Amino acid sequence: MDIGTISLVLVMGLVALLAIGMPLGFASAFLALLVLVMKFEPTLLSAPWTLGEGLLTGRPGTGPLYILTQKIFDLMTEYVLISVPLFIFMAALLERSGIAKEMYNALDFWLSRVRGGVAIVTSLMAVIMAAMSGIIGGEVVLLGLIALPQMLRLGYNQNLAIGTICASGSLGTMIPPSIVLIIYGLITETSIKALFTGAFIPGFMLASMIILYIVIRTQLRPDDAPLPTPGPEDPTGRQKLGMFGGFLSLLLIGAALLLFLRALYFTLSGLNVLEEGEERIFLGMPDHLLPLAIAAAVGAVLAFGIFGRVRTMAGWQHGKGLVPPLLVIGVVLGSIYGGITGITEAAGMGAFAVFLIALLRGEASVGLLWDSMMRTLRSTGTIIWVTIGAAALAGAYTLAGGPSYIANLIVGSEMPTMLVLLTMMLILLFMGAFMDWVGIVLLIIPVFLPIVRKLPIEEIGFIGQLEPRHVAIWFGVLFCMNMQVSFLSPPFGPAAFYLKSVAPPHISLTDIFKGFLPFIGVQLLALAVLLTWPPIVTLLL
Amino acid sequence: MTNPDSPESPAPKAAGTALLEWLLPAGFLICAGWVVWHIPAYILDLIPPEDQSSFAKIKELHERKDITSAFNGVFGEFADIFDWLALLALPVLFWLGARGLRTAPMEFANWRPWDRFALFIGRVTMLMIVAMTCVMLYEVFLRYALENPTIWANELTLWIAGFVFLCSGLYAMQQRCHIRIFLLYDVAPRWMQRLFDTCSTLLIVVFAAGLIYGSYSQVFITKFYRWEMFGTAFDPPIPATVQPMVLIIITLIALQAVANLIADWNLEPEVHSDEPEPTEIEAIKRQMGAK
Repeated sequence: MDIGTISLVLVMGLVALLAIGMPLGFASAFLALLVLVMKFEPTLLSAPWTLGEGLLTGRPGTGPLYILTQKIFDLMTEYVLISVPLFIFMAALLERSGIAKEMYNALDFWLSRVRGGVAIVTSLMAVIMAAMSGIIGGEVVLLGLIALPQMLRLGYNQNLAIGTICASGSLGTMIPPSIVLIIYGLITETSIKALFTGAFIPGFMLASMIILYIVIRTQLRPDDAPLPTPGPEDPTGRQKLGMFGGFLSLLLIGAALLLFLRALYFTLSGLNVLEEGEERIFLGMPDHLLPLAIAAAVGAVLAFGIFGRVRTMAGWQHGKGLVPPLLVIGVVLGSIYGGITGITEAAGMGAFAVFLIALLRGEASVGLLWDSMMRTLRSTGTIIWVTIGAAALAGAYTLAGGPSYIANLIVGSEMPTMLVLLTMMLILLFMGAFMDWVGIVLLIIPVFLPIVRKLPIEEIGFIGQLEPRHVAIWFGVLFCMNMQVSFLSPPFGPAAFYLKSVAPPHISLTDIFKGFLPFIGVQLLALAVLLTWPPIVTLLL
Repeated sequence: MTNPDSPESPAPKAAGTALLEWLLPAGFLICAGWVVWHIPAYILDLIPPEDQSSFAKIKELHERKDITSAFNGVFGEFADIFDWLALLALPVLFWLGARGLRTAPMEFANWRPWDRFALFIGRVTMLMIVAMTCVMLYEVFLRYALENPTIWANELTLWIAGFVFLCSGLYAMQQRCHIRIFLLYDVAPRWMQRLFDTCSTLLIVVFAAGLIYGSYSQVFITKFYRWEMFGTAFDPPIPATVQPMVLIIITLIALQAVANLIADWNLEPEVHSDEPEPTEIEAIKRQMGAK
């Protein structure tokens, strides 16, 4: 059977099977089998009794069908895939500990006198949580429980409150480490570290745009975000600034001392004596000892000399809730970018760090561990088995020559490059309304990426020029940005349902989606930036 | 739920049962690990290859990998007393663990007796996740703090992870938490939902049958029976164990799908939404209130 027919049957089959509610992973797995049958032994469809005579089934126990098992096996022995359950485990532990609540209180203290402060705090907190792990869902629920009641109590505009929580809560998959980028990297064989690096600037750009929107909106319409009446004991803005300076100096001392001790340990044990070809350990060489010590001393002078002990200690009291999250970020991102470990180990260390912090805070219990393990198992089962099905389908379809057929079809149609990209974005946005991101990245990306690779590279974007080796990274980040929109877009944006489950009953689903509209606009703007200026992802590479 | 405060279980009894809920899967996991590691011994004793060269090859493998090589074989030349005891303990621990199993509030409520099988596998898999994390952290500590890496930890992690990924699918099938789209399904009348469910179950069974038909000899003869190793310094039998596991798990998932179809046949239709489980929100709220 020719590949055009196979592709058509595949698309129709997928729609039909998904419509009847067949699990996505098994639907793709079954279609993989069907593709192989259509490719190698189409007679089997019209005459099933010929089983065992054709090219495919002639040799029971082996033959082309073994490719499916082989594909699944290859996926099972993919080392990076292990980071998926580990990041889920970490997020599960994080949501069950009080770390988030304390971080919120700490941030809230510093920004309580700023117009729109609670909304900004919500966004900042979401960014910090996004940099710790790469899952959404729990984040929206958490923010909805902590920040929504306070914003409504203060008389914030309801739409602003809702939109802030969900748009910021979705950032988890945009700011590294992101589980979407991990799966994207796996399926497209792109360097995940490069994807993370590429997503940094766009991710923070989106976060800043959200915060900027909040600031501008609340400045233009102060009624949207009334300020709380200050208590008589409350410190003024100037005093807070001093306390914050003291707190930052303490952080500097802490970080410098930790790195100093690390470098000292390396020096004393001789671990940083470099052999031929070894790279220098980041901030861990003997000549780093002095600068680190100076940094700690400067911090001490600032904290106790300039800001003063009393102010610094007051700052510490209000800011210490920020320390555990910063430590976790340091462990996870520091491990990846400090050249210490890979992404998988970083995820494991992050989970361990969260567990240790929960243990120190007296929150860790056998029950918490059991609960987190169970949630990890559930999420792993659902994500991995869609991946398994899609890997089988992608293997079968590639064997049948599918992706290059589609790529030639699109490229041969002589559509302008940017129109092709725009169509893709529209399809992604449309699919995102119905399907989980896992399904989209696994089913659509293997078809889309070959097309993008075949597009004339000088026609991608309007400003700047993308290098061929960066195309996959750029498209991955673009895809991630797309998924940001799909988390919010009606009628099935998952963030809305997550918030609905914790919002007061008078807030309806329609209210929630109404609150999203301006934030979807902000996201589309960020998407447009990525489309017109592709080299933005390569700034840090 | 092992949380001793949970209302449905009397507190004093709960602590003991909670401990057992950890110990039985852990014991099963240890025995299973032992048995899997020593499979060459069972192969040599129970179904020895006929030609001399493959026999010698597996014999050499067995002697290189045997942990208790000082002990002689019982009931045969190769598998020693520990191997047989571990093999014997597997079904016993499985039965005990599955019998004493209690479900957590977040788990599927309408479960049937036969679901104990998948649930217990789930419990073992949960422990595997922890085991895998510990092995990885141990390796990170050795490699970066002491610069004294092991040759086995990374591959052991990879090996355990393969089993975690596969087994989690069976558990997710029992929990009905595989990703599905309920758009049309939820508005369909119940008889049509039954038809839909029958179709998808049938197709899962067809896929399982096709996969097994197309690879059983490759998997069970070439990989498992010849005990293909990973070909590295530590040399774990990853192809020899994970590939058969793919086929075994697919079979179990297909069986579970059929069992689900039967179990849910008379259930009331349920409207699905993307909202998280109420129990999950309760847990987060409790955490917030406690602070």
